[in-house]
Amino acid sequence: MLHRRGFWMAASLIGIVCLLSIQPSFPQKCEVRYPGLAACPNEHCTVVMVGKKASTDGSVISTHTSDCGSCDWTWRYVPAADHDQGATRRIYYFDQFGTDPPRKGLRWDAIEDNFTGFEIPEVSHTYGYLHGMFGYMNDNQVALGESTIGCREQMENSTSAPKFDITMLTLIAMERAKTAREAIQLMGDLAVKYGYGHTDSGEMLSVSDPNEVWIFEVMPVGPLWTPDSGQPGAVWCAQRVPDDHVSVCPNESRIGEIDLKNKDYFMASPNVVSFAVEQKFYDPKSGKPFNWKRAYCPSEYSAQSSFGSRGRLWRFMDLVAPSKQFSPGTPNMDLPFSIRPEKKLSVADVMVILRDKYDGTPFYTARGLQGGPFENPNLLPYGFELDGKKYDTGRCIGVNRAEYVTVTQSRDWLPDPIGGIVWIGFGAQDTHCLMPFYQGVTRIPESFEFGDHWEFDRRSARWAFDYVDFHTQVVYSYAIKDVRKAQEKWEKAAIDRTPEIDAYALQLYKKSPDQARQYLTDYCNNNANLVVNAWWSLGDELMVKYMHFWYYDIRERKREPLKYPEWWLREVVRYNQLSPQPETKK
Amino acid sequence: MRHIQRTLVLPFLVVGLVSLVLPGWGQESVPRARLPVLTTSAGQSADVNTLNVIMDQAGMKYDYCDVPTAAVVKSGVGLGGAKARAGFHVEVTTDVSRFKPGTPYQTVVFAVGASLKGMGASGLTVDAEVKRVSEIIQYCRQNKIMVIAVHPGGQSKRGAPGSDNERMIDAVMPFADYIIAAKDGNKDGRFTKIAKEKSIPFSQVDYALGIVGLMKKAFE
Repeated sequence: MLHRRGFWMAASLIGIVCLLSIQPSFPQKCEVRYPGLAACPNEHCTVVMVGKKASTDGSVISTHTSDCGSCDWTWRYVPAADHDQGATRRIYYFDQFGTDPPRKGLRWDAIEDNFTGFEIPEVSHTYGYLHGMFGYMNDNQVALGESTIGCREQMENSTSAPKFDITMLTLIAMERAKTAREAIQLMGDLAVKYGYGHTDSGEMLSVSDPNEVWIFEVMPVGPLWTPDSGQPGAVWCAQRVPDDHVSVCPNESRIGEIDLKNKDYFMASPNVVSFAVEQKFYDPKSGKPFNWKRAYCPSEYSAQSSFGSRGRLWRFMDLVAPSKQFSPGTPNMDLPFSIRPEKKLSVADVMVILRDKYDGTPFYTARGLQGGPFENPNLLPYGFELDGKKYDTGRCIGVNRAEYVTVTQSRDWLPDPIGGIVWIGFGAQDTHCLMPFYQGVTRIPESFEFGDHWEFDRRSARWAFDYVDFHTQVVYSYAIKDVRKAQEKWEKAAIDRTPEIDAYALQLYKKSPDQARQYLTDYCNNNANLVVNAWWSLGDELMVKYMHFWYYDIRERKREPLKYPEWWLREVVRYNQLSPQPETKK
Repeated sequence: MRHIQRTLVLPFLVVGLVSLVLPGWGQESVPRARLPVLTTSAGQSADVNTLNVIMDQAGMKYDYCDVPTAAVVKSGVGLGGAKARAGFHVEVTTDVSRFKPGTPYQTVVFAVGASLKGMGASGLTVDAEVKRVSEIIQYCRQNKIMVIAVHPGGQSKRGAPGSDNERMIDAVMPFADYIIAAKDGNKDGRFTKIAKEKSIPFSQVDYALGIVGLMKKAFE
């Protein structure tokens, strides 16, 4: 009897031990392999945020410069939809750096190829939204901007265990969120529950609505996370930008010390501190308060120490609060989370900031030889390598590799279809033109929906702007004046016209919201089509006007040689060891 | 009572034993690998970071270089004193009291997965990366250094024939002594097929975490 009981007890024990061995527990401790270093990107997007009391008209403003150079630039409008009970939402992977040839069809039609095999319960109603690489603004004026901030390398999770990446999170937020806070909680919960990462590392989103703007930062928790571990699959934190402040995210984590008791200003995942402690990124016994960015994404650069490659943060602060005289030598991590601007910012002011090339600073990207004879600020945007050494050349906010740029306005004094505006500009900021799309639009131009970097196509709106950009680079100091005139004519005019469009749309809205939507759709599409056509014409004009480094006066049908600056001519004489022509005797 | 006892315990025993057997179904046993070991990348994706975290978790000491040449591999433990620089990362954690600098590596582990971004950062084209990896593998084969090919990235590190990812797989997998892949990346049975055709031991895991145990076992 004892013998048999012993056998069964032993058998049970073996069974339990075997079962436990199926799924090892999620590692609680991991050595810090790269102390003090994080995988900090500096080539990508910039986000500017303006609280409603910091803008001239009460708008909450956010931006996204989708800086890449080889990524997708296509847009689509996703209409609102109702769903049956029991319906599910398919989850897809989106590689931010992925792009397909246009012959494969529209990007978002081909997305089935990237189905993760994972679905979540669908909600009964999903909101409509404008969709570029990310979701940008939905029916409730909830708006987003994105900047890759990186994280400690050992936190990255490029496996297929996490089911959400940043793009998918933004789409779900667009579909389901009524407010910025709802969007943050929703994205955070999904990331924690189903895992976050895949092709994305640490990411920042500006999340705004007509009342407020937040910075939301989310990071993976390492490649050994598994969905069945019961552990959070992400760590995240969010901080609200005070209403009378502005802020910026230039590929760097911006959230420092946090106060989770202050719920109006902070939100976070339950593991926000504990994960850092487990991973030895933060020692509670150090006597120092927990600091999100120092724990998860430390970097010790300043504008000065990085020769301007990490100068956007300092530059922004200096532009909006010049009297503070921020030093370019101040480590970025010591610069404030947000700041009250000395002058409230209009949407046009924000657009100017997005075009900044560090003018007037030691990091000016057209400084001296770097800009060549025509003061071109775009000649060396990535720095360069020489004799085995790498050199930085200044990474400005208005770098010339934007796929597109967005400026969103959320305005609480207008109904949502009129209050929300997404300004979209294709290509580099210095040569593009921002075009308004009210939240109420129900379609966008077809020319916005396709095209890629590798096949020139006159049907693609983006190529019109690249066409102008290409012809501007050759004789930048001359051609950019023509471009600015065109921007004045089209972009500034659209900004100036906004109150008039608002008023008429509101008049219609009171009678019929559908009529207002139709009017806004027609206005935005017509304006965009006119701008795209104008840019094709501008490209043609620039080609003729500056052909062969001459100036062809189109009206007068005369030509004259372009003037080269004396300093450059002296350099040519010096470097090429030119001798002056012998003086001829009179 | 005895009946109840059996009814309760028997399923535990059966499930438990099956769970021990299941992971091994259709798979070769884990071959034995020897130290010292070098971890590296074939394709410069973030998967090499995953590999290094796996090695850390497995308690392994190893040398790491993202873009070594065959000559660097030949220089053995310590990688000939190579210094990290932009686009060239080096980390030496091998126990040098056990393996003196210069001791030839006995095992090279590749994290297979292509990233144009990663290759760009290292100043490499796909062709250059394939050539570099092939030269290392050739050196390993000539010198009887075990090659372990790990593909933790899943479906996103696969592609159409001729794509960057598939070229990296072609460059490494058929010449490896042991292949480990995440199940999600082997939906079409590509790794199973290579392993079968070339008689290479092959392990498939649900998640990268499963590779920790395999590495422990291989190097135990």
